[in-house]
Amino acid sequence: MTDHTADKLPEGALPDGVERQRMDVDIACVGFGPAMGGFLHTLSKGLVAEDGAPVAESKAMPGMPPQVICYERADDIGFGVSGVVTKGRGIRASFPDLDLMQIPLATEVRHEEVVYLLDPVGASRRPLVMRLKDRFLRATGLAKNHAYTLPYIPNFLRKEPGYLLSLGQFNQWAGGQIMGQGSAQIWPGTPVAGPLMEGRSVVGVRLQDQGVDRQGRPEAGFMPGMDIGSRLTVVADGPVGAVGRALDEKLGLPVGNHAREWAVGMKMVVDLPEGCALKEGLVLHTLGYPEPEIFGFLYVYPGNIASLGIFVPSWYDSPVRTGYRYLQHWMQHPYLWKHLQGGRMRSWGAKSLQESGRRGEPHLVGDGFARIGEGSGTTNVLTGSGFDEAWTSGVLLGVSVLELMEQDKPFTRENLEATYVRRRRESWLEREARIAEKARDGFQVGVIQGLIGMALAGLSGGKAFWPGATRKPHERIPSLEEFFRGRIPAEEIAQIRRDCTQKGLPLHGALMDRLGWPSIQYDGQLLVSHQDALLLGGKVQAPGGYRDHVTFKSTNVCKACDEKVCIEACSGQAISTNPDGGAPLFDREKCVHCGACIWNCSKPSPQGGESANVDFQAGAGGLHSAEN
Amino acid sequence: MKVLFLAHTEEGGGLGKAALEALGAAKGLGFELVVGLYGAEVQAGADAIAGCGAAKFLGVAGADFATARYGSDASACEAIAKAAGADLIVMPATARASRVAAGVALRLGAAVDTRLTGLEAAEGKVVATRWFYRQRMVGRIERDARPWLVTVDSGCFEAPSDMKGAASVEMLSPAVATRTVVTGVKSPAADAQTIRPEAKMLLVAGAGWGKSQAGGMKRLDEASQLILSLIGATKCSLGSSKSLVDQSGEGGALPFLTHMHQVGQTGSTPRHQKGLATCCHGEEPHVVGWRFITERRAINLDASCGWAQGKADVLYVADAFAVVKALVELLK
Amino acid sequence: MKGLQIVVLGSIVPDPLQTLEPIVGPTGPALKNEMMLPAVLDPWAGHALYEAANLAKQVEGKVYLVALGPKAKLQQVMMNVAQKVPFEINVLDGPAGGFTDAAETAKALAGAVEKLPGLDKGKLLIFGGWQSASRGTGAVLQMVGELLGVTDQFQGVDEIKMSDDGSFTVLERIEGGSYQLSSCQGAPAVLGWATGNLPEPPNNPQVGMANMRFIMPALQKAVAAPLKGEGLRFQSVEVPSQRRETRIVKDAPVDDIARELADWIRA
Ligand SMILES: Cc1cc2nc3c(=O)[nH]c(=O)nc-3n(C[C@H](O)[C@H](O)[C@H](O)COP(=O)(O)OP(=O)(O)OC[C@H]3O[C@@H](n4cnc5c(N)ncnc54)[C@H](O)[C@@H]3O)c2cc1C
Ligand SMILES: Cc1cc2nc3c(=O)[nH]c(=O)nc-3n(C[C@H](O)[C@H](O)[C@H](O)COP(=O)(O)OP(=O)(O)OC[C@H]3O[C@@H](n4cnc5c(N)ncnc54)[C@H](O)[C@@H]3O)c2cc1C
Ligand code: SF4
Ligand code: SF4
Repeated sequence: MTDHTADKLPEGALPDGVERQRMDVDIACVGFGPAMGGFLHTLSKGLVAEDGAPVAESKAMPGMPPQVICYERADDIGFGVSGVVTKGRGIRASFPDLDLMQIPLATEVRHEEVVYLLDPVGASRRPLVMRLKDRFLRATGLAKNHAYTLPYIPNFLRKEPGYLLSLGQFNQWAGGQIMGQGSAQIWPGTPVAGPLMEGRSVVGVRLQDQGVDRQGRPEAGFMPGMDIGSRLTVVADGPVGAVGRALDEKLGLPVGNHAREWAVGMKMVVDLPEGCALKEGLVLHTLGYPEPEIFGFLYVYPGNIASLGIFVPSWYDSPVRTGYRYLQHWMQHPYLWKHLQGGRMRSWGAKSLQESGRRGEPHLVGDGFARIGEGSGTTNVLTGSGFDEAWTSGVLLGVSVLELMEQDKPFTRENLEATYVRRRRESWLEREARIAEKARDGFQVGVIQGLIGMALAGLSGGKAFWPGATRKPHERIPSLEEFFRGRIPAEEIAQIRRDCTQKGLPLHGALMDRLGWPSIQYDGQLLVSHQDALLLGGKVQAPGGYRDHVTFKSTNVCKACDEKVCIEACSGQAISTNPDGGAPLFDREKCVHCGACIWNCSKPSPQGGESANVDFQAGAGGLHSAEN
Repeated sequence: MKVLFLAHTEEGGGLGKAALEALGAAKGLGFELVVGLYGAEVQAGADAIAGCGAAKFLGVAGADFATARYGSDASACEAIAKAAGADLIVMPATARASRVAAGVALRLGAAVDTRLTGLEAAEGKVVATRWFYRQRMVGRIERDARPWLVTVDSGCFEAPSDMKGAASVEMLSPAVATRTVVTGVKSPAADAQTIRPEAKMLLVAGAGWGKSQAGGMKRLDEASQLILSLIGATKCSLGSSKSLVDQSGEGGALPFLTHMHQVGQTGSTPRHQKGLATCCHGEEPHVVGWRFITERRAINLDASCGWAQGKADVLYVADAFAVVKALVELLK
Repeated sequence: MKGLQIVVLGSIVPDPLQTLEPIVGPTGPALKNEMMLPAVLDPWAGHALYEAANLAKQVEGKVYLVALGPKAKLQQVMMNVAQKVPFEINVLDGPAGGFTDAAETAKALAGAVEKLPGLDKGKLLIFGGWQSASRGTGAVLQMVGELLGVTDQFQGVDEIKMSDDGSFTVLERIEGGSYQLSSCQGAPAVLGWATGNLPEPPNNPQVGMANMRFIMPALQKAVAAPLKGEGLRFQSVEVPSQRRETRIVKDAPVDDIARELADWIRA
């Protein structure tokens, strides 16, 4: 047997008497999100003939039906984070008789609004053009409640007719259907550490070690992560998955492509106050506040429940871009707060989005592997949708895999290109992705340019856009002194830094206070501390026996780092100041696996390449809410 | 309606606090009362409550019934209950009685509800209160079925007093079939005993004791010493949070903490008159552990800790190391 | 003793950190959004399952899990539990909530245990959690034991030690952090587990694959066990509001705080 060495796994021989186990399956799948849902649903349906007999035989276990195994990192298949509003074209095609009543929290889109939010507190960092525009809107009386509702929604942003869904509930429902069919198994609570590679081929995956301490050293109950050999590995681990990123690192991206634009989406599910005027099926998008770069969404589910949140993008250059505090200021904007006040947080969560879209597309296939979903560049940055696109990419792969199985063809790069990649290129997915490809380039230059660029691309079908060259995320982040120049003197920043470090606190609270952001008055229901949001909303927990999945590549780099963006931006306050002054501290129990630390670091990786100084691996645990 | 108060005696034949409280619950209903006691000896216990107003005293005693063992205890309870012919049977929710209560109910063809925190009769109906989902919600329940066997939690009912006298106990001798022998009790050494259900106060030690303190150092030895001194000075009971317990145990943060100390959702819900929480953040899991503590105070460095949101009566925003040190001095 | 049959009784409860709220349903109280809440194997029953597997390994025994719960939720929870230890499952499709009557649950479970193929009561150990995290009565196991004629019963068990002749010793939790130590001549017996001493086993994909061969068919064959819910009537169920007026003492000298506390403790 060949010796497979998984990439990027900690070196170190296994202790005496411990062997790494190995198991062979036909198709090994990584991650259960909508993309994998589309794939497994399509595959399961096609794998059994009408009489219930399997249409193909397993090669890994002759005599058995094909062994299709999916490993999901989170502790349950319903613990994902998303919006979701979707046109649902792919979903409708997969479930022509879809009855939304079967899926809790699902409903139809009934009404859409795009609202420009003015700054009611005077602390937001608005470019001059925007300030002039604000003044005009106020003077003409067009702004009500410090907000201006756009008179018309351009077609490319419209979601009607469409669905409002909870990603968690949808995934639970879809996963239940798939498991019920019996052709595929989905195992949550099982992080995949990385791909098993032979040259540029993928021959399976290695699971994460269990029974280890925080450093990954064997402890009682040590079980080295199993090697799962497979003929085809389907990588659907989303925007920040360890397997997809390992492949990107090993194989590079196709020439001209790069995945450098990110955003962290932070959200809540809220029980709206009794008598709330917001109606089921409402889709509300906001721009302009709390910072011009931060977009917001509010969708109304059945039962007087809303899904709401904000996106903090990588091109918002603040080194103290904290999602949580901004989310609280956004909710308290008078236009929203009049509906939300008195509401109660049911759920909270955060996750990164890969916003490079088509331009971030990796090698979609290779010998023994195929990639689907957001990690394969499906998310459309112009229409702001990724859910149905991810599902559809899974469906296209499902159809292709069935075709190859029926013809008994191996899963080689050529065969996958002739089937899956071809189908993808011919699909609406590709068409729309092309239109969107350069839509956000303008944001590289500035927020106004970005907004104009989006409109240009949307209205011209992608022919027009505002050009802007991209940079690696860490190259964008300025020093605190630079970013706050003219607003906070350098000596004062130094003082704030000293005070906060001594107290072990991040800087963003103090800096935002200093800039005039009002302090948050906790009400214990909707406005709660970040830690309480983790506990009450995210129900965050981490099983023991896994290594720290967030580490710092070079402690010296961290030591010399003044921005410490990783601490400021961490969605779970899982990364905190080290009072000893070394690399920041990481608390696995608080991590929500949003992956924001991957792109919220201001220093390049000592090993070079695209990445920064944070190493983000596959880990278990995180959110335990199935509503996000 | 006839009520049977059914309890085991303690070593020496007397009744424990939990049993006396259960008697209070049974008596409080105001119906005809029968007393049933079992254990190595029962006379002392019966005499202690001779004046409780019971129409009859039934007993099962002897070496076979000296220890808490399912086979013998179930036979004793079954025999007493059958002889009493009561509609309602009230037992204390001690470890010993809880082990057999439901099994006994099944033998009697009785309905059963355990760990009641309230029991009252109104307009001929008996209504019981008990908690669901690990003390997260409280329900009021009733049943038509009789007999109805219930166990009542300790700390929820008033034990009647001044009932001493001479009781005449009708002794029964049920057969015992068991293949089990109780061989002993393993208790922590008296001075190492930090779980004291009878204590007036509960001290809850949270994970903050094990965290780096100002200056960046952990002060684990000092934390241990302070906590133990406070327990020594107050004779209080010790509880802890999941976070701290998970880090503790031999070789861990605080060596004397075990998972038996954990209070809260997946720990215990102790009942004490007073509770002092130190270095706890104070979210729902704690609150559950706190539910039956009457007077609550907390010490935390962080004013926005969960305790500030209406769970404690007083929150002291201060360094627990310093406060406990001064407190121990004062209490010496 | 070789070849013990260890039957673990256990079902699902809401994931412990979820926010729970009661509502009035058509058949009495229920949890709001019960089907939406993520569920886990009842923690103490989980410990019982791991202890059972550990013991089965020592005695070449076999572990059965008999679960009464809503089939769809059980399927989901099994995707997690099945990776932990080998067992064969038997499913009763019915309610698993905290507001069901323990006696009805016990009857359904005892019936299912009786029907296990090849059941030999001389080799039977019934395991389970000493209380559920939903109803918390600690009644089900005792009644199942009685219904099956098993009268050597232990509750709050943290340890079992098996000898070669089939006799065993048990540590049971009793008041005040103490343990009662007993010895029993052997099966049949009922053991209601507290936490035990074993860490949660790692997720083992091979164990999962092996278990799945039985789990999916068992779920498909699940017998409906609609509990009647007769007998137990609820007047009310509520989450008590526990909000207190918290007095916050800030910036006070340590000695003042200590004095105030000392007075309070002494009072
Ligand atoms: C706040 C927010 C709001 C959004 N709103 C909308 C919206 O309104 N409409 C819309 O269309 N889209 C929206 N999106 C985008 C959409 O949710 C995503 O594009 C979509 O979920 C991508 O699906 P996926 O299957 O590719 O990946 P994911 O949903 O990310 O699924 C990947 C899965 O892989 C698992 N995984 C990762 N690493 C590993 C590993 N190493 N081993 C095993 N498993 C692993 C993850 O836990 C995850 O479950 C939103 C996203 C966010 C964050
Ligand atoms: C399934 C599950 C079940 C759970 N069940 C339980 C349960 O039964 N019981 C339970 O307790 N938890 C339970 N939890 C855990 C719970 O969610 C919390 O994580 C835990 O209770 C937090 O413990 P803590 O308050 O001690 O620690 P932390 O949240 O870490 O808080 C420590 C506090 O100490 C303070 N502090 C630090 N130093 C000092 C000082 N010098 N002076 C004063 N204050 C200081 C800090 O300000 C902080 O507020 C459960 C969790 C899960 C996932
Ligand atoms: S991880 Fe990056 S941002 Fe954080 S301290 Fe280190 S170098 Fe700075
Ligand atoms: S440490 Fe965890 S919670 Fe924090 S940014 Fe990274 S992935 Fe998100």
